Amino acid sequence: MRRLVPFIVLVVVVAALNGWLEQRFYVRVLTLTVVWALAGVAWNLMAKAGQISLGHSAFVGIGAYAFTILLRGGGTSPWIGLVLGMGVAAVVALAIGLPTFRLRGFYFTLATISFPLIMELLVSHYGDPELTVPYHPESEWRFMEFSDPHTYVWVGLGMLVVALMISELIDVTSFGYALRAIRDNEVLARAVGIRTVAWKSAAFMISAALSAAMAVLWVKAILRVTVAEEVFGITVVIVMLSVAFVGGVGQTWGPVVGAAFLIPLAMFLDDSIGESVPGAQELVYAAALVLVALLIPRGILPAIESGFRRLATRPGRSREPAGRRLLGRLAAPPQRPSPFLIMPRRPLRPRPPRPSDAPVLEVEGIAKSFGANRVLSDVAFRIDAGRRVGIIGPNGAGKTTLFNIITAHLRADAGRILFKGMKVDRMRAPRRYELGMSRTFQVPQGFHLMSPLDNVVVAAIGASIPHPVAASMAMLERVGLADSALGELSALTTAEIKSLELARAMVSEPELLLLDEPLAGLNEAERARFFTTVDELVTPRTAIVVIEHSVRSLIQYVESVVALDEGRVIVQGPPADVVSDPRVIKAYLGSRWMEHARDQ
Amino acid sequence: MVEFLQFLVPGILIGGVYALLASGLGLIFGVMRVVNFAQADFMMLAMYLSWALFAGGVGLDPFLAVPAVFFVFLLLGMAVHWLFIRFVIGRRENHDAQVILTIGLGLIFQNLILIRYSSEPRVVAPSYANTGDFIGDIFVSRVRLYAFLLSVLVAALVFLFLNRSATGRAIRAASENWEAATYMGVDIDRTNRIAFGVGVALTAVGGSALVTFQSITPFVGLRFVVVMFAAVVLGGLGSVRGAFVGGVLIGIIQSVSQVWTSAAVKNVWVFALFLLILYVRPNGLFGKAQRAI
Repeated sequence: MRRLVPFIVLVVVVAALNGWLEQRFYVRVLTLTVVWALAGVAWNLMAKAGQISLGHSAFVGIGAYAFTILLRGGGTSPWIGLVLGMGVAAVVALAIGLPTFRLRGFYFTLATISFPLIMELLVSHYGDPELTVPYHPESEWRFMEFSDPHTYVWVGLGMLVVALMISELIDVTSFGYALRAIRDNEVLARAVGIRTVAWKSAAFMISAALSAAMAVLWVKAILRVTVAEEVFGITVVIVMLSVAFVGGVGQTWGPVVGAAFLIPLAMFLDDSIGESVPGAQELVYAAALVLVALLIPRGILPAIESGFRRLATRPGRSREPAGRRLLGRLAAPPQRPSPFLIMPRRPLRPRPPRPSDAPVLEVEGIAKSFGANRVLSDVAFRIDAGRRVGIIGPNGAGKTTLFNIITAHLRADAGRILFKGMKVDRMRAPRRYELGMSRTFQVPQGFHLMSPLDNVVVAAIGASIPHPVAASMAMLERVGLADSALGELSALTTAEIKSLELARAMVSEPELLLLDEPLAGLNEAERARFFTTVDELVTPRTAIVVIEHSVRSLIQYVESVVALDEGRVIVQGPPADVVSDPRVIKAYLGSRWMEHARDQ
Repeated sequence: MVEFLQFLVPGILIGGVYALLASGLGLIFGVMRVVNFAQADFMMLAMYLSWALFAGGVGLDPFLAVPAVFFVFLLLGMAVHWLFIRFVIGRRENHDAQVILTIGLGLIFQNLILIRYSSEPRVVAPSYANTGDFIGDIFVSRVRLYAFLLSVLVAALVFLFLNRSATGRAIRAASENWEAATYMGVDIDRTNRIAFGVGVALTAVGGSALVTFQSITPFVGLRFVVVMFAAVVLGGLGSVRGAFVGGVLIGIIQSVSQVWTSAAVKNVWVFALFLLILYVRPNGLFGKAQRAI
C-alpha cells in the first residue's frame, strides 16, 4: 500500500494535466517530461549498481532505427517494432556488457562512451543518416498515429508506470539487494555469492530495452524523423544523466522528480528566449549537473529524506512531520525487509555433499607471483571436517594471498585446490561461496550504505537461504547485534564490526570458515570471547582456518598450525611443536636473535 | 608504398598534436585522479581565443599566440579548479560528482560560445595555410608540420618543468602518492590547482596548434574528447609520457586507416582500438598505471 501512493499521485497528476492542458506547446512539454522521465528511469537501473553509463544513446538509437526501418520496409506496426527493438537493444546490451563489466569505475564509464559513437558513424556512413517516419493515417492505434496529441501522453504514462513498477520490483527483491551490494563493495559482493556479472548484465539488458521503448515514443510523438546524430547523440545521455542525478541517482522515483523539474524549465526557457539564446535548453541541464555535483551529489530525493530525518530527530518536534508522508515515501529506501523477498525454496544449484573420505580442503603446490615478486611457492596443506588450523608467519609471508587464492579473489599461477574432494580451481568466488566456503577480511569489509541486517541478508541471498531476512536476524541475535540491526554501519565499534563479519560469514552455514586476523584491534576481553562465539555458531563438522598474529591466543584454539615464511611452508604440525621449532623462531625474529638466544 | 607513407606522415604530424592534447588530460588524471570530461571544451575555448586574436583586428599568427594562450588557460584552469574541481576531489563517493560536474562545465562552455558566436564554423587561415613541401615523394603540409614541431617543443618544456622545478617535483610526488607527499610538506591543494592549470593549458596549446587546419565550432570538442581519452588510455591512464606516445599512435591509426576505409569512419578505428586496449590492457600498452609521469 505504502508503495502504491506515489503511483496514484503520478497518474492523477499526469491525467489532470493532460485533461486540462489544451495548447499544443503545453501538451508537448508534458509529453517530453514523461518521455525523459522514462529514459531516466531506464538509465537509473544501471546506476542502482553504481555503474555510470554514458553509452545509453546506443540503445535509444537502436530502438529508433529498428522501428523506423520496419515501418518503412513492410509497414510493420510500431508496436511490433518497439518489441523487436527492445529485444535487439537487450541483446546488444549483453554483448557490450559482458566484456565491459570487468572494468571498474572510470574505466567502465569511459568504455561506454565509444559504443554510440561507433554506431552513429557506421549508421551515418553505411546506412541512412536520416530516415523519415512514414505517415499512416489509416489506423491510429495500429500505427501509433494519434491525431490527438494527448493520446501520446497516455501511452507514455503507461510505459512510465510499467518501467517504474519494474524498478520498484527490482528494489524489493534479491535483484535490488544484489545491485546495491555491487554498488557498495563489489569485491565483498562476490565473496558472499553475488554473481556480479550476471546481475549487472540483467540490469543492463532491462535498462537497454526500456531505453529502446522510450525511443519509439520519442520519435513517434515528437521528432517524426529518425536522425542518427540525434538518437545516437550525446545529448540523449546528458538529459538522462541530468534528470536522474537531479532527482536522485539510483532511486526509482528520482528521474520522475528530476524530469518534472528540469524538462518544463528547459522548454519554457527555450520557448521564451530560445530565439536569441540558442543554447538555453542545454544550459539548464548543464547548470543542473554542476549544481547537483557541488551541492547535493545524491540528488533531490535523498537530500529531502535526510532533511526530514534531521527534523525528526531534533528534540521538541513531532517525530513524523506531516510533509514526510509523500516525499518520505518517494525517498525512503525500504526500511524494513519486504514480503516480496522470497527466495526459491531450493537453490538453483544445490550444494553437493562432501564424500565421507575426502578432506574439506586440500591445497597442493600453490604458487603465486606478482611480477618478479614471488609471494607463494609450493604451498600444500589439508584440513578435515571439524578441525581447526592456524596459519602463522611474519608480515609478507603470503598468508592473506593464500586466503585470496582459496576463495578465488586471486588466481594461482600453479597448483590445485580441492574443496570437499572437488576441483574448484576454475570456479569463481561466488560459486565457491555457494559450495560452502566463507571468509572474513583482514581489513573488515562492509556494504556501507546498508544497515547491518541488510549486510547479512545479502550473504543469505548469495547462499540461496530460503528465508534470508529471518535467517539473518537470527544470526545477528546470536552474535549480539540484534539491537543495532537497522542502524547505520558506521555506528558500530570495531568489535561489533568483527561480529558482523562473523555473522555474514556464518549465515550460509559454511563447511569451511576462513578467518583473516579476527583478533586484530580487539581488546583482551573481546579476544577471549571471540573464539567462544565462533564455537557457538559453527557445527561440529565445520572446518576453520585462522590467520592470526596473536600466536598465544591462536595456539589455544587450533589443533594444528601451518607456519609460512617468504611464501613457503616451513613447518606444520601440532601448535606446541611448531612454535618451538627453531625455523619458526628464526623466521619471526631473525638469525641474529637465534645466535643471541643460544649464547644465553 | 608512397600512398601508405602519404597517410603515415600526416598521421604522425597530427598525432603529435593529439599527444599534446592528451598529455594535459593525463597530467590531471595522474595528479588528482579526476577524469576531466570538460578537457576537450577547454581546447575548443582556446581555438576560439586563437581565432579571435587572428581575425579580430590584431592579426596575431596562431603559432605566435601560443604563449598568450598558455598563460590565459593556465589562469583559467586554476580558477576552474578553485571554483569547482577542488570540491569533488578525493573520496570514491565523489566519482559520480566528478563525472557530472566536468560534463556540466563542458556543456556550459559549449553553449556560452554558441550564444556568443553562433554555430557558424570559423577558420583561421594564415598566408601559408595551404602551402607545403615535397620531401621525396611525400607532400607535407606546412601548418601541420608547424603544429607537430610546436607540440614536441611544448612537451619537452613540460618534461623539463616536471623534472627540474620544485613545483614540478611536488606535482610528481603528489601523483605518485599524495598522502606521502602531504607528510613531506607538499601543499596538495596548491599542487592540484597548478597541475589542473598546466593540464588545461597544455590542451589549450594543442587546440591553438589545430586551428590552422581544423574549422572551429562550439561543438568541435565532441570530436576530440574520445580521441583524447583513447590516447590517454592507450598510454596508461595517468601517465603523461604514455599519453604522448598514445596520441602519436592514435594519429597514425586515424590517418593510415584511410588506406582501407573512408575518411568518414576513421574514428571508428580509434574507438575500436580504445575499447580493445581497455579490455586487453586496461593499464595501457606500457603496463603499470600507477606511475604518473
